[in-house]
Amino acid sequence: MQPGNTRREFLLLGGAAVAGAAGTTFAASDTQPPANVPPANVPPADAPVVREAPAEFGGFSRWKPTFGGPPTADHYLGKLVPGLRGLGLAPVPVEIPDLPKLPFKMVGGVKEFELRCTPVKREFLPGYPMDVWGFNDSMPGPLVEANQGDRVRFIVHNELPEPTSMHWHGLELPVSEDGVPGLTQNPIMPGKSYVYEFDLHQAGTFFYHSHMAMQEAFGMVGGFVIHPKVAFDPPVDRDFFLIFQNFHIAPNQTISDSMAMDWNWHTINGRSGPFTTPLVVRHGERVRVRLMNFSPMQHHPIHLHGHTFWITGHEGARIPPSAWVPRNNTLVGVAQATDFEFVAFNPGDWIFHCHMVHHMMNHMVQQVGPRIRDDSDVSDYQNQLATRPRVRADFTTDSGFRTPGYPQNMQHMHMGEEMMMKIMHRREVQGMRKMWHMGVHGLMTVLRVLPPELYDLVMNSDEMVMPGTVFDRIVKGDYAKDYQQ
Amino acid sequence: MRTRVFVLLALAPLGGCRNVPHTATCHSHAAASIRQPIPAAPAPAVAQTAAPRAQVVPASHAQPDLTEPATGPLVERLPAPAGAPAESAASGATCAGMTLASIEDMATTYNPTLTQARTQVDGTLGKALQAGLWPNPVLGYQAEKIGSQGTAGEFQGGFIRQEIITAQKRRVSREKYLARAKAAEFGALAQQYRVVNDIRRQYWRAAGATRLVTIHEQMVKNAEDRLVTVEEMFNVGQSNTVQVRQARVTLQRTKLDLLAKINDRDQARRELSALVGVELPEELYGDELDESVPPLTWDASLAYTLGESPEVREATAKLESDRITVERELRQPIPNVFVQAGPGYDFTDNRTVVNAQVTVQPPIWDRNQGTIQQAHADLSRQRAELCRIELRLKRDLSMHFKQYLTAQQHVESYRGEVLPEAEQAYKARLKSYKQQRETWPMVLDAQSELYQRQAEYVHNLVTWRDSQTLIEGFLLTGGLDAPQNPTPPGHIDATPQPR
Repeated sequence: MQPGNTRREFLLLGGAAVAGAAGTTFAASDTQPPANVPPANVPPADAPVVREAPAEFGGFSRWKPTFGGPPTADHYLGKLVPGLRGLGLAPVPVEIPDLPKLPFKMVGGVKEFELRCTPVKREFLPGYPMDVWGFNDSMPGPLVEANQGDRVRFIVHNELPEPTSMHWHGLELPVSEDGVPGLTQNPIMPGKSYVYEFDLHQAGTFFYHSHMAMQEAFGMVGGFVIHPKVAFDPPVDRDFFLIFQNFHIAPNQTISDSMAMDWNWHTINGRSGPFTTPLVVRHGERVRVRLMNFSPMQHHPIHLHGHTFWITGHEGARIPPSAWVPRNNTLVGVAQATDFEFVAFNPGDWIFHCHMVHHMMNHMVQQVGPRIRDDSDVSDYQNQLATRPRVRADFTTDSGFRTPGYPQNMQHMHMGEEMMMKIMHRREVQGMRKMWHMGVHGLMTVLRVLPPELYDLVMNSDEMVMPGTVFDRIVKGDYAKDYQQ
Repeated sequence: MRTRVFVLLALAPLGGCRNVPHTATCHSHAAASIRQPIPAAPAPAVAQTAAPRAQVVPASHAQPDLTEPATGPLVERLPAPAGAPAESAASGATCAGMTLASIEDMATTYNPTLTQARTQVDGTLGKALQAGLWPNPVLGYQAEKIGSQGTAGEFQGGFIRQEIITAQKRRVSREKYLARAKAAEFGALAQQYRVVNDIRRQYWRAAGATRLVTIHEQMVKNAEDRLVTVEEMFNVGQSNTVQVRQARVTLQRTKLDLLAKINDRDQARRELSALVGVELPEELYGDELDESVPPLTWDASLAYTLGESPEVREATAKLESDRITVERELRQPIPNVFVQAGPGYDFTDNRTVVNAQVTVQPPIWDRNQGTIQQAHADLSRQRAELCRIELRLKRDLSMHFKQYLTAQQHVESYRGEVLPEAEQAYKARLKSYKQQRETWPMVLDAQSELYQRQAEYVHNLVTWRDSQTLIEGFLLTGGLDAPQNPTPPGHIDATPQPR
């Protein structure tokens, strides 16, 4: 421990080992074996911390907002500030909230995966099961994790009622394995299977998807991470994978319209805010988010509050540090991925979202009718089908209508008790402000940067945490004076 | 099917006619029931379990004793209209106060055409009575050769002269007019159908119009809401001034539609009052439009109409009358015998004498050949008339049956599919709006769609009831038109001594 380190830092360092382990445990508990089994000469991802984390890096603090400049400095805005785990370790497993990982088995030295192309009922929000297609009954499909140098085999079973094919997006592989129907192979007919096999010499963020255009729009995509043998430097403590998608699902409909040119349902890893599961990290950890846009035709300006992130990679390759760009909002185009890295120096619950306003909520509708009228309730209409209520003709007495543009406030989806139970009773949201869900819609999720005690309280205990208590302790409690100085 | 009782006709007394046989044609008609139930097509269970229709007992079927005074009314039974309340309901007030049955009862008392129809029968029976009477004898005093031989004359005395009607002309004349009386009976029955049909049709129309007023009131509320919604959208740039003005136009048109429906309703009620003959209260109408009734089939309806129509029977009775007319005119040349006799005193011989005289008028020049030709022509004409009426009924029935069938298909489809689906669509959009998924204009569209389909349903209901009433009522309308004279136009008609 460096002189001047606080009690808090001690705890954090101690917790960092747990964090790595927790990440691994999280993945393992998700029924998947870890994919990134390191080579024999590389310490495993859950190896203990091999060094003490310094508090200061050339003027940048991992515990509080600092500049760390000048811009040419290695630690400017935390650019090359390592995570809390040691150098030279295998990468940490990727966490993909709300989605499974694809298991494999070793067959003759080849990692063999099985993918089934299937119709999927995906609950975008509690009580809203939508009809899409995906893989292994999941949309998006399960995450594939492999290591640089692996030889992989994918046995693809087509359980759809129409032909399909599988493309391995960004992989440099033999053309016969590229999965373009007609061009490189015959389509996989319904009920049939197809085997792809190739070597992985790249490392980075990739994905797989059907190469039938409308099937892509209908959800058939999954993440594909190839880990380097040794974690990139600076190493991250947490590595997340998020897939952003748009769908058009009409009111009173559950089937996505893949022909649409307008999109009204927005999902991160197959869920819409506030059903998206927050990314919960420990204060001071270095975090990577691999954000992939698989929307049919709209790009996403991704914005993280409270932090400046470095763009360290795109789909297919890591960017040399000299070309990294610091931003708080960056555009991720269709079928692109961007790796964000940052040090979670700023405790609190931070919104992390697409900044395209029409993506900031689902099925945005005109704010007219009873929902904005005083003394008017849709239930009155539901209860009086034969003789509907008379509309108040003096609605203009609502003083708001004297202001052109009123109302701009977009009222949000009605959430019933069951829906709220599913949203509010997840470990990841414990202790957030009572009405936090009001600000999290559509392509939104939350980055929770929690001091270690609060992290453990939220993620590693069974204790029910009252709404607002974690947030209040960060904002008003003893942590505030330490972290906000 | 429930029944109710109608008082229709009373036949006038006819002295000395006990033995007058009915014509074969009329008798066979009379023996059959005027109103046979139309065999129903396969129908829903509820319709199949409905009670059978009552059969109507025609006046002729009751075998009236023409020698008796017409004090005993003949009872006619008309089937209750499809969907009409039971007779028991007639005595008890509905929620609206009156029922169709009670309104029909009032019409039997107050509709003047029924009285006219009854008097047509009375008048024709009077002709039959008159035609069968003996001519009165002639009484006189005669004085011949006054002053002969200085006396008061060869004959001073009285005499009596009587015309002897030969060849049973009186009987045949009476039969002819009794046949016309039969025609008048069927004419009266037709008039009863005209009145009842008109009342029922007007009742359905009024009941439908009352419902339509309620539906159009909802349409006005929908248009008001749409205007407010467009104004709300205007404030956030989602509509423009043109759309606001168009919403106002739509609202005004919807209000005018409502006023037109109110006018329809009021007119229907007033017309109904006129048909009944008394002023009816405003709130009359129960809601029997929706009640299930057995469906009709074309073949059964056609057979029923041609076989039982009062118009056909009236024409048939007239045909029989014309046949008898020919028979009567053929007997006309057979001379009657005039017999005259009387006692007197011959003053020239100073003795009592008796005068006697028998005369006949031999048909030498006038053998009644012109009138016989006219009677034959009338008979031929009436045969053609009967055929014409049957064809006209078939033509009219085809039109009304088409309307009935189309309306019935719509009603069943609207009940089973269209209205429930439209309602579910509206409910789904309301629910979706509540969930912040649907827009309010789309909710208003679904609401408007529901109201429009409800209005169409009512229109089809009324058309269905209307056409069914006409088909079951032999297509007869004109409950305030004067009943036709039983004597066909151009026919040989009454004389002071009708023959």
